[in-house]
Amino acid sequence: MPLTIVMFLLFVLKAFVVVMFAMNVAVILTWADRRQGAMIQDRVGPNRAVAWIPTKVAQGLALGPAIAVVAAVAFVLVKLEPPPEELAPRAMLFSQLGILFTWLTFVVIAGKVQTRGVQSSFDAWLYSLGDPRRIFYAGLFAHFLALFVGLALNDSSFGTQIRDIGYGCGAGLLIFSVLGGAVYAALSIRNEPRIGLRLAGLLHPAADGLKTIFKEDFIPPNADKFLHSLAPFISFFPALVVMAVIPFGDTLCFNVDHGGLGALMTTVPRDSVCAAAGSVRLQVVDLDVGLLYFFALAGTGIVGAALAGWASDNKYSLLGGVRAASQMVSYEVTMGLTLVGAVMVYGSLRVDKMIEWQQHNAWGIFVQPVAFFLFFTASVAESKRIPFDIPEGESEIVAGYFTEYAGMKFAMFFFAEYIAVVTSAGLMSAIFLGGWDLPFLYRDGLHISIGGTVLFEQALPHVLVVVVGALGFVLKTLTLCWLQLMIRWTLPRFRYDQLMRLGWRKLLPASLANVVATGVIVMAIVSAGPEVGKFMDLLADYTKAFVALAGLGGFIYFVVFLAKPVHKRKTLSSSSAQYAAAAGGTRSARMSA
Amino acid sequence: MKNETAALGPKKVVGVAVPRPQRTASVQTYIPEIAKGLGITMKHFFQNTKEMAFGQRNDPVLEGIEDGINCISYPEQKRPYPARFRGVHRLTQRDDGAPRCVACLCCSTACPAQCIHIEAAEYPEGDPRRGYERFPQRFVIDELRCIFCGFCVEACPVDAIRMDTGIHAAPYDSREQFIFEKELLMGFPGRDGSHLTANPRHEPGESSHPGLDRDHH
Repeated sequence: MPLTIVMFLLFVLKAFVVVMFAMNVAVILTWADRRQGAMIQDRVGPNRAVAWIPTKVAQGLALGPAIAVVAAVAFVLVKLEPPPEELAPRAMLFSQLGILFTWLTFVVIAGKVQTRGVQSSFDAWLYSLGDPRRIFYAGLFAHFLALFVGLALNDSSFGTQIRDIGYGCGAGLLIFSVLGGAVYAALSIRNEPRIGLRLAGLLHPAADGLKTIFKEDFIPPNADKFLHSLAPFISFFPALVVMAVIPFGDTLCFNVDHGGLGALMTTVPRDSVCAAAGSVRLQVVDLDVGLLYFFALAGTGIVGAALAGWASDNKYSLLGGVRAASQMVSYEVTMGLTLVGAVMVYGSLRVDKMIEWQQHNAWGIFVQPVAFFLFFTASVAESKRIPFDIPEGESEIVAGYFTEYAGMKFAMFFFAEYIAVVTSAGLMSAIFLGGWDLPFLYRDGLHISIGGTVLFEQALPHVLVVVVGALGFVLKTLTLCWLQLMIRWTLPRFRYDQLMRLGWRKLLPASLANVVATGVIVMAIVSAGPEVGKFMDLLADYTKAFVALAGLGGFIYFVVFLAKPVHKRKTLSSSSAQYAAAAGGTRSARMSA
Repeated sequence: MKNETAALGPKKVVGVAVPRPQRTASVQTYIPEIAKGLGITMKHFFQNTKEMAFGQRNDPVLEGIEDGINCISYPEQKRPYPARFRGVHRLTQRDDGAPRCVACLCCSTACPAQCIHIEAAEYPEGDPRRGYERFPQRFVIDELRCIFCGFCVEACPVDAIRMDTGIHAAPYDSREQFIFEKELLMGFPGRDGSHLTANPRHEPGESSHPGLDRDHH
């Protein structure tokens, strides 16, 4: 296939998106790691960086997106007349969205009123409703009611009236709640002289990054100047480029029935194969060796750490470099071997093929549970993070291999570590958590079916499916990153011999056993015949149902947890507490981050 | 002699043997223990993050007894000093706005850090207070030198110097800014916002006043 300008531009765009994703998430992780560690220890953590914006601008920031959403809804209502067969799904979509945004807005404002106190008659009415969780339960009830009414009255004549009512009411609720919430937010800040934009403290890593650029770039006098400067790049680069083989979304098809961008709004058949000319793979490079590329490049990261240790002319650095090299080489073996089982099951080294297999069967974590835990452990060790951060070991060897680095070169090692976290999380979510696959969401829409019995079907436009899938991939990646941070703040550091023993005598035999067991089971299932195959398909459907229900349950539990009102006991025994109470509390001048 | 020899040699260890903790399967495999530890950190993380994000965190002074984040983000948030905190000095005023200080030099004499400098002066001819009491022409405290012991407050016979402002000496950028003159010292109000003394019993004319009143009665 000839390389066209469009393809080249698309390649650059995709590479840009992936690199920006990895680097931005790495920056956010740098911040989250500090902030999260502080939160766990009941501290606030770094949140001081602030950009002050005038109140009028802040009000505009609240109102602008809301007006855009309202305009979009109005445009769809007025201009885009749907064909009759799509009227029912669209009514369902709008009523569900309207209910969602209504309860969301009310719960958020009610929670605010609970903590801040009543300031207007609307606040007083919300306060009289009591616990904000009641609003959420009412919203859930409305969701299910709308769903069942829509399903039950699908084809009756009464149903068409209900459908039109649902369409109108849903759109009205959507406009009302989005606009109302934004107006409420804009009104509630109108008396503030200025608004501090802290993005929950996210401006802090930006300030830190700027600072590292301007810091002194120190090179020890007797160090090998060239290698000392080269090492951070060798660490940084491979960590960044391994994301290239991980697809972050399903293939976008342009040429299904009628070519062009219009195809994006139509529904695509489930097993359709996009012609290469009219499709965009959401993956930077398309390599048959897929996983091997990942391991080959991840392996070169070792060179960076070892080189930094060697070139620094410092015994602590050398020790750190040697430790890093031996540790990463050891765990590389386990990483590779754990995925052999997965490759046997999926039958491909290409990550996109693996995701397709998981979409048609079950997620990798159900197929290869042992491999998931082994790979997770090994990849934490591979990124040299706590509890495996022996190459840094600040209690023993100062800072290990980057002892002699300062400023941006130090920051590059630091970033490389976090980017390695992001890429390993991305690979894990692709191989074990289905990548961009979400339960029951196929290329042509939502199909909830278990063992051939169809419970719910809904065709969805192609672009929506792809975008939701890509968001699912981002969410899974972030969750896995977050889990690695949590582990950092939970576990103490291993001793060096413990690390080696864990790697060579526990994880390696376990991964070998996993390969053998997987081989036996795969052969057994393949040779057992169609009956067993059908049973396995049923099991796969159950895992999808399990994931979907667990996700829904987790979401409901999370909202209930968030909306739970807080009751704090005041103690006024000390004179300073009495002074503070007389001044309206210390929190009145609170940091908003 | 016998006792002395018995005292020699290693001492007999007295105590209770503590058994080694049991090596159960869950401890040895490490995984359930990791899960438990993760559960605890996650509980703290979610609870504290939720309270920070929704502005529900504890008031660090009033609700400090509760679990959760009790950090004070100084200087946006400050813990008020307790009532008896010895802060920056103030010179109390009479009802007419004149300093209560009679320039008796008791405070500067009592001061172990020798940070108080007073130049006494007589009221002008014709003033009823002339010959009865003096006033400080200059009253200077070097707040850098002060050790905030409170001896000056104890020494003052007329309750003219107090340390109940509730403010600490802020860090300035030059030494000169720590030299507090009389006008500045008289400008600080007390914790109750008043420039008068909370303890008026030494006012001349009061029955508790030890000396004569202004009219030499």
